[in-house]
Amino acid sequence: MAGYIVRRTLGMVVLLVLLTLAVFVLFSLMPADPARLTCGKACSPQIIENNRHRLELDIPPVEQYQRFVSGIFFGRTYLADTKRPLECEAPCLGYSFLRNQEVLDLITKAAPVTFWLAIGGFVTWMTVGLVFGIVAALKRGRWQDRTVMGIALVGYSLPSFFIGLVLYFFVILFLHLLPNPQWKAGMPFKDLGGFVQTMLLPWITIATLNAAFYMRLTRNQVLEVFGEDYVRTARAKGLKERTVVVKHALRAGLTPIVTAAGLDLAYLLGGAIITENIFNLPGLGSLAIGSVIASDLPLISGITLIAATLIIVANLVVDLLYAVVDPRVRVG
Amino acid sequence: MPRSNAWLRRALVFGTTFALVLAACGGSTTPSPTTTVTQGPGDTPAPTEEVDHSGGTIYMLTAAEEFDDIDPQRAYTGEDLAFFGATIMRSLTSFIYDPDAGVANTLQGDLATDTGTASPDATSWSFTLRDGLTWEDGSELTCEDVKYGVSRTFANDVIVNGPTYAVQYLDIPSNPITDENDPKSGFLSAYYGPYDGTGQADFDKAVSCDGKTITFKLNQPVADFNYTVTLGFSPVPDPTGHPDLEDTVEQYTLRPWSNGPYKIDEYTQGNGGHLILVRNDAWDPASDPIRKAYPDVWQVDFGIDAKVMDQRLIASEGDDAFAIQYGSIQPENLSTIFTDPETPNADFAGRATSDFDPFARYYWIDTNKVSNEKHRQAMAVALDRDAIRANLGGDYAGALGDGVIKPNLGDQYAETGMWTDLFGQAVPDTGDPEFAKQLIADSGEPMPALTWDYPQTAVRDQEAAILVASFGLAGITVTPNPIPPGQYYGIVFDDEAAHEFGWAGWGPDWPNASTVIGPLFTDKGGWNLSRVHDEDFVQGVQDALAELNHAAQAKMWQDLNKLAMERVYVIPTTFGLSQTFGGTKVQPLYQWAPYGSWPYAEMYVTP
Amino acid sequence: MINVEEREGSAEPSPERPFLSIENLFVSFNTEDGVVRAIDGVSLSLERGRTLAVVGESGSGKSVTAQAIMGLVRSMGGHVSGEIWLDGQELNGLQPEEVQALRGSEMAMIFQDPMSSLHPFYRVGDQIVEAILAHRKIGKAAARKETLEMLKHVGIPAAERRIDAYPHQLSGGMRQRVMIGMALINSPQLLIADEPTTALDVTVQAQILELISTLKEEFGTTVILITHDLGIVADVADDVAVMYGGRLVEVGQTSTIYEAPEMPYTLGLLSSIPRMDRELPKRLDPIRGNPPSPINLPPGCVFQPRCNYSDRVANGACLSVRPELLPTAPGHLVRCHLPAEERQQISADVRRILAGAQR
Repeated sequence: MAGYIVRRTLGMVVLLVLLTLAVFVLFSLMPADPARLTCGKACSPQIIENNRHRLELDIPPVEQYQRFVSGIFFGRTYLADTKRPLECEAPCLGYSFLRNQEVLDLITKAAPVTFWLAIGGFVTWMTVGLVFGIVAALKRGRWQDRTVMGIALVGYSLPSFFIGLVLYFFVILFLHLLPNPQWKAGMPFKDLGGFVQTMLLPWITIATLNAAFYMRLTRNQVLEVFGEDYVRTARAKGLKERTVVVKHALRAGLTPIVTAAGLDLAYLLGGAIITENIFNLPGLGSLAIGSVIASDLPLISGITLIAATLIIVANLVVDLLYAVVDPRVRVG
Repeated sequence: MPRSNAWLRRALVFGTTFALVLAACGGSTTPSPTTTVTQGPGDTPAPTEEVDHSGGTIYMLTAAEEFDDIDPQRAYTGEDLAFFGATIMRSLTSFIYDPDAGVANTLQGDLATDTGTASPDATSWSFTLRDGLTWEDGSELTCEDVKYGVSRTFANDVIVNGPTYAVQYLDIPSNPITDENDPKSGFLSAYYGPYDGTGQADFDKAVSCDGKTITFKLNQPVADFNYTVTLGFSPVPDPTGHPDLEDTVEQYTLRPWSNGPYKIDEYTQGNGGHLILVRNDAWDPASDPIRKAYPDVWQVDFGIDAKVMDQRLIASEGDDAFAIQYGSIQPENLSTIFTDPETPNADFAGRATSDFDPFARYYWIDTNKVSNEKHRQAMAVALDRDAIRANLGGDYAGALGDGVIKPNLGDQYAETGMWTDLFGQAVPDTGDPEFAKQLIADSGEPMPALTWDYPQTAVRDQEAAILVASFGLAGITVTPNPIPPGQYYGIVFDDEAAHEFGWAGWGPDWPNASTVIGPLFTDKGGWNLSRVHDEDFVQGVQDALAELNHAAQAKMWQDLNKLAMERVYVIPTTFGLSQTFGGTKVQPLYQWAPYGSWPYAEMYVTP
Repeated sequence: MINVEEREGSAEPSPERPFLSIENLFVSFNTEDGVVRAIDGVSLSLERGRTLAVVGESGSGKSVTAQAIMGLVRSMGGHVSGEIWLDGQELNGLQPEEVQALRGSEMAMIFQDPMSSLHPFYRVGDQIVEAILAHRKIGKAAARKETLEMLKHVGIPAAERRIDAYPHQLSGGMRQRVMIGMALINSPQLLIADEPTTALDVTVQAQILELISTLKEEFGTTVILITHDLGIVADVADDVAVMYGGRLVEVGQTSTIYEAPEMPYTLGLLSSIPRMDRELPKRLDPIRGNPPSPINLPPGCVFQPRCNYSDRVANGACLSVRPELLPTAPGHLVRCHLPAEERQQISADVRRILAGAQR
């Protein structure tokens, strides 16, 4: 097991290196010149050159990458040859000249928003998805099943920007049940009420699509596992029906669901662009899309690194968790 | 004024459809009196003396994620200049707050007692500061602070993206170092700015303080230099006189020191972020005849979804009644808010405006790649401009253009006759394929194959289709080349990457066509996408810049505009309109002409 | 001694029932394609201590019969009618909880695939302990001790170690031994073995059958052995019931079925027994075609479409009239339209050919 973890961790580091390297290479292949983009109106070749130097684009991508990596461990100095150098202390993920802030600060500010958004959405959709999915499976073919599957179909076919806007217009603007969402620094610990009021609709927005998906997945998974021989064995042993369902069927049937959900959660932690935008939440999603559109390489690299790390780590955790739950995948 | 790519970013993230977001620049303009400023009846902006409008909070809702730049030497978009100019960043001169464009475009003294004094040949300008000017810590704002602010423009290694008129006009030698391998060659002038200090003596000769009077010595006659000082000439505390008011990167990119009626209390960028301005108690109203400073607080909310924003303002409930839109109304909501492009519906009377924005939209034509003038004329003649305007939104989108100078520039504008007689016969709005074929035949050369560059949006994909179809009728083959919007200007300014012609938009920096004709058609101006190098034209621009007689100068700009259209350096498409609105409890709501913005300095909340 | 009654006659309750008595059993499933009549009127009984082999192809209804006895059909969504008497108690009319209490204690079952029949997440010992604790109030330690004894009993080497193994760590034969141990842990009266050797290696098959026989003697258990392979029946079973299309088609003592089968389907099954020492003569085509669809059974004799001899029946009765299960000799019932003499002649011919092929 220990060897397995070490192997996986090494693989993870290699993957991260390749990924961030790819970002740098792709960025350098981009047809537009970020130095020109930031040049503004009173532009001359001289100013473009200046910008290129300031943005550290006048050095080869490989060296840019080296600086990026060494910045993470040892920190780095921007504009070193000017009278106003910028110190970025380790771990330095870079400095965004478009936002005039350190990338790490930007990410640290955005991360809690996305974290709470993802966690709340996750809990909501898993609760709804599992409960209704199991009910549908147990009541297969009956009205409960048909109702749940009908709802799932509707939920599944609604795009999240539509759900988000409809919820916003109806609940906030029409019924005045909630105030305009407003994220404040320090939430949820500082202002729990405001936090819930702000996050409730985003959670529902995020949860709807996934809940629909997990309802169907859970139902199918549970039905499938009910047909498994070992469930029949459990019944043949004379176990109580509840024991059969919970200990034998659900334990086996839900394990792949929960682990898949772990990955979905990880993707969500990389930012929920649409929901964040509709509900004006300063999360990683809007930060990421903004950085891409503005060709803000330091921010793109930083977010890529963080998001990729999240997903890769989540993958690892899910795999390890799976090994704990299912003895068959344990590695000698 | 350019809109930096921060604006491009907003446009994409939030799917805002207003075309001006992707225009290269924005700026001050003089709406013509014929343009309707949609005011409700009895909605006089001038507050009556008996009523005290003070107090409350005005909210500004924007899809943008931050202001492009707050630094006085870097702020360059109309939006930034208008808002910060009204709240924290005074300049030597500024414009009058009035719904009438003619009045509003009039210059007045701000930090300076008047609009400045020029030497007879207009190569030297002096301004005298008012009494009682202060920084937010209560210390006196001096002539040295104005001088220090101007000096920062020369430190173009750290002060980037801002207007560079100081470098362009002040009488300082150019950088002697031209060897590209020398890092110092990057400086624009022999003076390297206050942080490096090289060339300080040259700067001190060009800008001098005598008590409260600051004098600028220029390298050429600049007849409208007192307009120029509204851009990038605002003061920054001179570290010598104000050791506590630091000029660091962090300080000046996120929280510059205020000399206006408000100061920055909080600034968080990004989706869900805010800029909160609170009162600056050190500001003396007696020193400032311009800013009324009614609300106690200004709160800008960033990253509001454009559709949500419209609905919040339509509902105008709670704090949203005190909110104004910083952006444009979504096209799908125009019919809810307006009866027609000039009249708001009864529910929105007095709080919705529809007016010329600062921009002229056009297609630049690379005159090197399409060097035959007849060919360019044929392109202009073939274009179905009516379909293009309809595609942009018809009457709400604006009027058909006949040049790069917009009618709201007042006396600078005259009809060019481009579509009536400039090419020898009238050209219908829908284009004239036969005439275009005739022009190609007259050229004596086959029409080269054309590719049209454009920053891709769904609307502009349609525009490309219209263009291809109408050119096709005249036998001209066009290949549309969609470019990701964030990369567009980076590509079309590259001589190799750019194609024969492409999409663009431009607005003047201040109400003078010197900030239109110069930038668009001379290399020195910096936005010469048409790659114009005609010597007679460049000389014409120089002559106009030096002309001290305002009326004569206006006539020269008119003629140059006409000449540019005759040679078809560009094909003008539309003079854009924009529609915006605010909540029910904030007044006055009109588009202030100089920056096409709200009249921030005289806005207040009603009970 | 097996005692089979006809459908019509089963209505009369007999005061002294045999140990197991199935009367007029019908099982059907509603599926998207239609109603599957998996069991179509099966009646049979079995005396205590005997072993009955139920033989048939897949889909013949033999497994469903077993699951109907165990009361597992309802949880699979099936509909059951008829009576199932076990040791004087009617099962089909009981509440689900009451049947559940009998499962694993009075009657137990082992399944075809020991890999999929054991829960992959739990240790084998724990799975047996769970079966004990479901029916008896004893401590966990005692249950574990008992489990260990049972594992040793069913011939698992190093049982002390294997008790904590997961199913995937054991071989197929070992797993089936665990299944057998689990089935017998509560000393059930009735053991149903549903294809217990099908998924196992040939060499292991014999050991498992041997184990079942030994334990049956030892525990005095009544056994129902369900199989598609008539070849494994001879050494184990006392009686044989051949099923086809959800019905019994021939019932008799094992010796009778082997030596004097009369139903052409049984003859086909006999011919299909793979034997190393013989090759099938070409003109003997054991059973051509495929089993009938349980949704759409053919009219007349269900076996008719695959029967080589239906043209010997007058008036095409095989095509239109359902034959009945009728006694042909004491304790020997056959469902066939062919006259008894004709059947016996055919049976003799076939057995002669088989014997000839053997030489």
